[in-house]
Amino acid sequence: MAIDINAYNSNLKSTWCPGCGNFIIHMALKKALSELDITPSQAYIAFDIGCNGNGADKINTYAFKGLHGRAIPLATGLHLANRKFTVIADLGDGACFHEGLDHLIHAIRSNYDITILIHNNQNFALTTGQATLTTDEEKPMYGLPDSKPERTLEPSEIILSANPSFYARGYSGDMQQLTELIKAGIQNKGCSIIEIMQLCPTYNEECTPQWFMQRIHKIEDSNRTLEEARKIGTITDESINTGIIYRNTQLKTYYELQENRKDSQTELVDEVKQYDVQKLFDQFK
Amino acid sequence: MPTNRYSIKLGGESGQGINTLGVLLSKAIKSIGYNIFSYREYPSLIKGGVASYQIDFSNIYIASSSKVCNILTILDPEAVHEYIKSLTQGGILLYDDSEVVFTPDEQAWITQNSIHVIYLDSSKIALEAGGSAIMSNIVMTSFVWRLLGLRQEDLTIVVKEIFECKGEDILNKNLACLNSGFNSSEFKEEYSQSIYIPKQDLEQNNNKKILTGNDAIALGAIASGVRAYYGYPMTPATSIFKYLGNTYKETGILIKQAESEITAVQMALGSMAMGTRALTATSGGGFDLMQETISCAGITETPLVIVLAQRVGAGTGVPTWTGSSDIHTAIKSGHGEFPKAVLCVSDIQSGYTLTQQAFNIAETYHIPVILLTEKQIAESLFTVEALPLNLPIQRNLNDGENRYTITSSGISPRWIPSFDKKPYLSSSDEHNEKSQSTENSEEIKQMSDKRIQKMTTLLNNLPEPVLYGNPDSQTVLVSCGSTKNPIIDAINQGMDIAYLHYEYLYPTKTQALLNLASTNKNLILVENNQTGELGKVLTEASSYQFKKKILKYDGRPFFLEDILNIQI
Repeated sequence: MAIDINAYNSNLKSTWCPGCGNFIIHMALKKALSELDITPSQAYIAFDIGCNGNGADKINTYAFKGLHGRAIPLATGLHLANRKFTVIADLGDGACFHEGLDHLIHAIRSNYDITILIHNNQNFALTTGQATLTTDEEKPMYGLPDSKPERTLEPSEIILSANPSFYARGYSGDMQQLTELIKAGIQNKGCSIIEIMQLCPTYNEECTPQWFMQRIHKIEDSNRTLEEARKIGTITDESINTGIIYRNTQLKTYYELQENRKDSQTELVDEVKQYDVQKLFDQFK
Repeated sequence: MPTNRYSIKLGGESGQGINTLGVLLSKAIKSIGYNIFSYREYPSLIKGGVASYQIDFSNIYIASSSKVCNILTILDPEAVHEYIKSLTQGGILLYDDSEVVFTPDEQAWITQNSIHVIYLDSSKIALEAGGSAIMSNIVMTSFVWRLLGLRQEDLTIVVKEIFECKGEDILNKNLACLNSGFNSSEFKEEYSQSIYIPKQDLEQNNNKKILTGNDAIALGAIASGVRAYYGYPMTPATSIFKYLGNTYKETGILIKQAESEITAVQMALGSMAMGTRALTATSGGGFDLMQETISCAGITETPLVIVLAQRVGAGTGVPTWTGSSDIHTAIKSGHGEFPKAVLCVSDIQSGYTLTQQAFNIAETYHIPVILLTEKQIAESLFTVEALPLNLPIQRNLNDGENRYTITSSGISPRWIPSFDKKPYLSSSDEHNEKSQSTENSEEIKQMSDKRIQKMTTLLNNLPEPVLYGNPDSQTVLVSCGSTKNPIIDAINQGMDIAYLHYEYLYPTKTQALLNLASTNKNLILVENNQTGELGKVLTEASSYQFKKKILKYDGRPFFLEDILNIQI
C-alpha cells in the first residue's frame, strides 16, 4: 500500500521555469518515497543551494537546506546519527562537481548508506547560467562569450573511478524510469549515486527534449565490471545511456566497518545521556 | 625567586623521546605526592630541532611554569646553548654527550652563577647494565631522581607501570639501567646539598592524576553525551581526537576523520540536527574553514559546538606554540548577524565543565557555541585529584506546530526528528515561522529579531566573571584562558592582587567589571596576544577602556615571573 503522494506536498507553489526538469525530478522523488512506504516523517533530505535547493520548502519531509556544495557531508552527519531515516542528498552539478567535489569522492570511498541525487543541468542555473565541468566546451556562457577555456569532464568517469556501491543515470524527461532508479538507490545498502540528466530550457536551451530523445538509450540492470560500466556510462555525441550503470554489492558500508558500532542495537540519537567517566578518569596515572 | 616550587627542564633534539621521558618523570614526581605542571616546547617537525619539557612541582597546586629551572638535563649538544641560561643560580646542568663544548661566554656564566656541571656517560652506563643505547634516558632520569634525594623504589614503581606492557625482557633491562643510573659513582653528596625541593608530607595521595587540557575536554564531551566526533588533524586540537579514538570501544562514540574541516563541521551539524550530540575541534586555520557553517547553524538555529584550540600567529603562524589571538575570530565568526556563545577554558576543571556547558547552551538556545582553549592548556599536564561534578544535561526539547515559532525569549520549539512527529525544514534561507523561504520585509525583520533576542535571554542567564585573590587589593588583573594559571600561582606566592577571570566571553557580562572600574583601583588587562582581544570585547560591551595592558605574543605563555614582576 503506497502512501498518498499528496502527503509529501507542501502548500507552496514551485518557482522553477516552465519546462524545468526539477518538476519531474521532485515528482519522481515523491513517488519513490510513496511507493517504498517511506512516510514524510521517515525521510530526511539535505538540500544544496541552486535551483534544486529551491525545492526544499516544496516537499513535506524532514529537510535541511544548508550551504552550497555541502549537502553530502550534511547528509552523512544526519545518516550516521540515525540510520533508521532514509537520508537523501539533493544537489546540482555545480555543487557536486565544483564546490563540493571532495565530498563526492570521499562519500563513495567511505560508502555511507545514503542516496545522492545529482541534478545535472550542465550549468549553474540559479546564478543565471555559468559554466560547469559538464557544460559543452563550445558553448558561450555567462561572462564567457567565447566559451569556457577549461575542459569538460565526464561525471561517470569521476564517479566510477572511486568504485561506487551503486551508480545510475536517469533523465528528467522519464519520470517512470527515474522513480524506479531512485527507489533502487534508496534500497541499495551503501552510497547510491543517481546522476539525473536535467532539462534546463532557460540556460541549456540547445538540449531540448527532442535532443535528449534522440540520444537516450535505456540499458538493462546487469552485472558489469568497472571497465564495462565505464564504456556504457560514457556520454558521446550520439548516445546517453540511462539506467543502473554499476553496482558493487560486495562493499561494506561505513557503519559496518566501525569496530565499536557495527553491532550496536541503538542509534547515536538514542544515546544522549549523562555518562559516568570515573572509570576512564581512573585510567589516568 | 618563587618559593615552594622546584623546576626540572629536559632539553634535547625533537624526536629524541623528550616527551616520553618528561611524562615518565612527571608521573614519578606526582606519584610521591607532589603537584606537577608540565609544559612542552617543540618545533613543528618530526625529527631534529630543539625541544624541551619542563616539569614544575610543588607541595601545593600549581598550573604554571617558572621562567627558570633548578636542574637542566640535556640530551643533545645543541640544546645546551639554547637552554643553559634558563638555569637558576646554583642550579645543576646535567648532560650526557661528550661533544658538548661550552662557549667562553657560557663558561664565564657557569662560574659566575655557581652552576654545578655534571657529565654522565649515560649510554655507557646503559650498555654496561645490559640495556640498549636508548635506555640512556632511563639512566639520566634515575640520576636526576638521585639528585632530588628521592627514593629509588618510588621511581621503580612508575617505570614498572610504564614498561610492563613491553614485556619482561625490556622491563628488566630498564630496571637495570635505572639501578645503575641511580647508583652511579658520578654522584657526589655536594650536589644534593644545593637542592632544596619543597617539603612534602610523605603521606601519599594516590588519587592524584595528571591530565592535559585536551584530555579534560574529551572527558567532558563523553560525560555530556557526545556520541560522535568528527575531526581533521590540526595542532593543538588533535589530541582530543586521539583520546576519543583510543577510548572508542569503551565509550561507543563514533569517530570519523573527515576529509576537511568543512566536512567535519558539516557532519557535526547534520548529526546535531538529527538529534544526537556531536563534537568537532580544530585550530585557527581549520576554524576559518568552518565559519560558513557557523553562520548556517546560526540562521537554521541548529545547535553546534566547536572547540577552537588556539596557537600563535596568522596563516600557518608558529604551529606548535601558544597564544590566544583567536578570541575575535571566534566572537565575530560567520557572515551575517546571528546569536552565538563563546566560552573559554583555562584548566582541567573548566575544560571538563565548560564542554558540558557548551552543549547545554547550544541545545537550550539552538545556537553555535565556540569553546576556546590554547596550546598552553591543550598539551600541558596538570595535576588533579577529582573531576568536578557533571552538569545535568539540558536539551530544551519541545514539540510544536512550527520549528520557527516567534516567541518572546527568541527560543522556538525544537523536537528531535522522529517517525511519529511532524517533519520540518531547517532552512539557511531566511524563512518565516513555517520554514518557508521569504523575502517579505516584515518577515525578514521579525525572524531576525526573534533570533537575536536569544542573545539577551542567554546573557541574562550567564554568570558574572569570578574575582580571585584579595578583593581589597588595589590592583586587579583582568584576563581569560591560560593566563589565569600563573596569576593564581602568583597569588598563592603571596602577590597582593585581585584577578577578574572571564570564562564566558560572549555574550559579555559587564557588571563585575564596571563595579571595579567605578573604584579607583588599578585595572590591568593581561593577555597572550598582540592587540588585547578580550579587552576590546569588554570595551565594546561596557565602554570601559583599559588604561594599562600587558600583552605577550612571542609564542610563549605567561610564566610565573611574568606575573610576579608586574609593577603593582
